[in-house]
Amino acid sequence: MTGGALELVCPAGTPASLRAAVDAGADAIYLGFRDETNARNFPGLNFSRDELADGIKYAGSKGVKVLVAINTYPRAGNPGPWRAAVDDAARLGAWAVILADIGLLDYARQNHPDLRRHLSVQASAANAQAIKFYCDEFGVKRVVLPRVLTVDEIARINDAVEVETEVFAFGGMCVMAEGRCLLSSYATGESPNMNGVCSPAEHIHYEERDGQLVSRLGDFTINKFREGEPAGYPTLCKGRFRACSRDSYLFEEPVSLDVSNILPDLMKAGVTALKIEGRQRGKAYVAQVVSAFRRAVDAAARGEQPDTADLASITEGGQQSTGAYEKGWR
Amino acid sequence: MSDSLKLTLGPLLFNWPADQVAEFYGRIAELAPVDTVCLGEVVCQKREPLLGGTLAEAAGQLADAGKEVVWSGYGLIADEKDMAATKGLAESSEGLVEANDITALPFLQGRPHAIGPLVNVYNEDTLRWLVARGATRICLAPELSRDAIARLTEAAGEAELEVQVFGRLPLALSARCYHARAHGLHKDGCQYVCDRDPDGMAVDTLDNEHFLAVNGIQTLSHSIVELSAEIDDLIGIGVTRFRLSPHHVDMVAIAHVWRDLLEGKRDLPRARRIIQTVAAFAPPSNGYFHARPGAVALNN
Amino acid sequence: MSQPGQRAPALSPVLLLGFALRPAPKPALQAAASLAMAALLRGHRSVFERLEGLANRDFLIDPVDLPFRFHLSAALPSPRLRILGEDEEPAAPVAATIKGSLPALIDLLEGRVDGDALFFSRALAVEGDMGAVVALRNAVDGADIALTEDLLRPLGPFGGPARGLLRAGGMLYRRAERDLETLRAALVAPVQRRCDSQEAKLRDLDETVANMPTRRRERQS
Repeated sequence: MTGGALELVCPAGTPASLRAAVDAGADAIYLGFRDETNARNFPGLNFSRDELADGIKYAGSKGVKVLVAINTYPRAGNPGPWRAAVDDAARLGAWAVILADIGLLDYARQNHPDLRRHLSVQASAANAQAIKFYCDEFGVKRVVLPRVLTVDEIARINDAVEVETEVFAFGGMCVMAEGRCLLSSYATGESPNMNGVCSPAEHIHYEERDGQLVSRLGDFTINKFREGEPAGYPTLCKGRFRACSRDSYLFEEPVSLDVSNILPDLMKAGVTALKIEGRQRGKAYVAQVVSAFRRAVDAAARGEQPDTADLASITEGGQQSTGAYEKGWR
Repeated sequence: MSDSLKLTLGPLLFNWPADQVAEFYGRIAELAPVDTVCLGEVVCQKREPLLGGTLAEAAGQLADAGKEVVWSGYGLIADEKDMAATKGLAESSEGLVEANDITALPFLQGRPHAIGPLVNVYNEDTLRWLVARGATRICLAPELSRDAIARLTEAAGEAELEVQVFGRLPLALSARCYHARAHGLHKDGCQYVCDRDPDGMAVDTLDNEHFLAVNGIQTLSHSIVELSAEIDDLIGIGVTRFRLSPHHVDMVAIAHVWRDLLEGKRDLPRARRIIQTVAAFAPPSNGYFHARPGAVALNN
Repeated sequence: MSQPGQRAPALSPVLLLGFALRPAPKPALQAAASLAMAALLRGHRSVFERLEGLANRDFLIDPVDLPFRFHLSAALPSPRLRILGEDEEPAAPVAATIKGSLPALIDLLEGRVDGDALFFSRALAVEGDMGAVVALRNAVDGADIALTEDLLRPLGPFGGPARGLLRAGGMLYRRAERDLETLRAALVAPVQRRCDSQEAKLRDLDETVANMPTRRRERQS
């Protein structure tokens, strides 16, 4: 599974973002329906069935594939929306569906055997055996790897299994095993697994207190900022907490993942595709990141070291990280 | 009625010294009215050598005391070494093995096994799929509400469904060790600092609210889930197993309270008083069961 | 951009627009706002459809450098934008209040500030339901709206002057940033002159708008 450029899989939260990503050079677009069946179920975001049909048409006219993420866990007693999402993705001609739940994978395999199935990062398949399990049982063709593996580990996985792998390349970082984190619902009642949201905006409150901006999620203080200090989105695991009598970003600093400077390593490790995070970001951001990565990926495919200056300017505050891809992260 | 209702002591999640672990299980074997005890390191592979043969000895004592022993597997299986250890556990164990990571499933296929709360079972299709492959007992994820649990028990068939009714809630796992990180150490050179916090390290907000607890690579709730007041409801919707998650408190007393509840001795104010006195280090919560944030404590 | 915490509003094109519009009678402003909303509904119905999941789709938009506020009711079938005087309260409870300099608000509405970046910057202050504000941001971003083009075009012959006013304001704003004090006095006069004719035109709009509802119905059927 080597050779050729890395496939660039880009986010679209709206039809406008889809067009922006296609025009900026995406190879594939991933998106979700406008309901709780996908892990970016943010208000005002995502696609109706008609918008998906139009999106597939537009992307198809430029040779770009569309992947539909149906990667939350179907609710007990109400599998309807999840099954309908798989049915409609198949009917409208999506190139693949991205799934996490065993029951839903089984449903897709039985009812739409020809519909390509990708394993969502929400399934948290982080080793060769787990990946092999999903391939053997559900005919999964591609696995989106959790953001916790080193490049060496990714290479070993690609040696061990006959499946395409997709890795996160740019954007937000999950520090917990994805699909296995209940921190959000502990504070707000809504979680990625059940509701497709993490630290949802409707549970966020800002308070001005003693000249500080205090961000609260549900009943808990997530962070405090001095005047002039940039305030990030109060995702629970990116907050500042007190442990061992010390205030710190205990779980993770508010950094953004950027792998553009290790693209050659990822190619060598046998990775098929790069995923850009950010279906909740605006179309301007999507266009900027996608075109920068298009250039970087093409440069890497020519055997050149990609120029990453463009991307550095996009990251908030210039704080970037190659995350777990390099082992020191742990 | 109480014959079909079972009490399980979940796996010890924390890094306690070997002699304390031995003493703990010795007392459980002798005094705690639980039906089943889960043994095994779930959180961090690095801790395992510290215990030596302690757990194997405990297993013997517990079996002699008439208790069923279940072996719980790792929550986060990362590398080949973890996989080999999991394979070994599956092959060598005579009793039931509890999978806490999907990775363990292929080793357990075709023979009866348990599914732990760290494996995602959210709906009937997934539940039936797992049962068809040999799962006989499933401890549900803590964030499921009463209605979801009720739906799942309807679909469980012969399989027993278990719900955690006492103890801090397992909320997240990471490749990163937050105990090490909080002490300015790296996971590979962690100096086993997680042994300093027998119930997890306090994680407070910047406003000094208690919030979470860190246990190595695991993040737990600060609050202790306490579902004694929900017992009629739990039984009514078909839950047959009740899990107590071990803490550094008098777990024998907690087990007695729950045994009384399961046997129909329903002095709820007394039960609640004892539980909160014994486990006074954190407040109770029951929000998830009532489809609210997990941290919430509802009076009912 | 002005920080919500600062007392004195930054000198912005909108401040100038504020100066310019202050003498305009409220009905004329209201007419222009209604016209703009009718255009938005015609051209970008999806904006409102994207908000359908929200229980409350009313917003109070408070440009700190203008002498009035906007009450946006985004519920279909008939979304409305009402102009409120500084002391006037919205007629219905709002999901959220968004406060900031108008340039910051326009950045938000034209999609230059995204859902995440909204929280990185402190140029906007949000009170109330953050989820509703993110929804509004996402809905607008999804529609490829160019505020100046889409909303000023329907003003027809009046769009030109209004656009000119915005552009002039923007230019003056940049100059003002260099030398705020000396320019301040100079700014008001030319804008005031332009405003006199603008006021007359806005008054004419009133009549145009009177015919709008009928036309809108015809188009939808």
